Amino acid sequence: MNEQEVKRRRSDRPEKKKKDAALTAPKKLKLLFTVVDRKKAELFADLLSAYSVNLQIVLAGEGTAKTETLRLLGLDDAERAVIVSVIRDDKAPAIFEMLEEKFESVRGGKGIAWSVPMTSAVGVAIYQFLSDYREGQLTPQGQTKGGDGK
Amino acid sequence: MTFSHECIVCIVNTGFSDAVMDAAREFGARGGTVIHGRGTVSREAERFFGITIQPDKELVLILVPRDLTDKILHALYRAVGLKTPGQGIAFSLPVDQVVGLSTFSTEESKETTDPAEPTD
Repeated sequence: MNEQEVKRRRSDRPEKKKKDAALTAPKKLKLLFTVVDRKKAELFADLLSAYSVNLQIVLAGEGTAKTETLRLLGLDDAERAVIVSVIRDDKAPAIFEMLEEKFESVRGGKGIAWSVPMTSAVGVAIYQFLSDYREGQLTPQGQTKGGDGK
Repeated sequence: MTFSHECIVCIVNTGFSDAVMDAAREFGARGGTVIHGRGTVSREAERFFGITIQPDKELVLILVPRDLTDKILHALYRAVGLKTPGQGIAFSLPVDQVVGLSTFSTEESKETTDPAEPTD
């Protein structure tokens, strides 16, 4: 059997083709900080959970901006919520786009959000949980099949 | 890799968040968010070094342009560092993306920052 024949036979194997298609590099993770009015914390946490976010921590915080600045921005109340979410790198553009739109359109929903890259996570199960990796549901492009397509 | 903004995290004893913001504002920071926390410390280390660590803490998050980070961190070290009653530590995290920053500039920040630079 010559070399070309071996290559052809290998490439014809259906199982290997399927396995190769599912193999992708692990998605990077980021820590997203969203600071909003405390009354809007639940709304923003719900909005974020639609983007494959499995872990969110809502912390009670207070703003420190001076009152005249607050008045100008329409943020008279100093009570804030800091939502810390673990997001997937490939979902970040869609999440930031959504947040920017909601900060503008939601009444009293003005806020600020930023992300910090995560450099490591320990444990395969933890990583799969944080990245919302579901066996056999990820296409090579990292899009979840049958999901919201975001 | 360099980013346009950084997130300064300053952990101080309860009641010192105003001192943190005053020091940070002096060098162009606009605003921050305070979270209450509880510090944990080894009792053995406390005894060994002969100090008492107040467990109630305030965590101040300040988003600042990258070029202001060093100045603000130095100001925090001087104002609320470990050798002061605030017993604070401060560090910065790289911020790779940000939304919601206002381009509005106050009088006090005009003196220390470039007005074209967006601040929080």
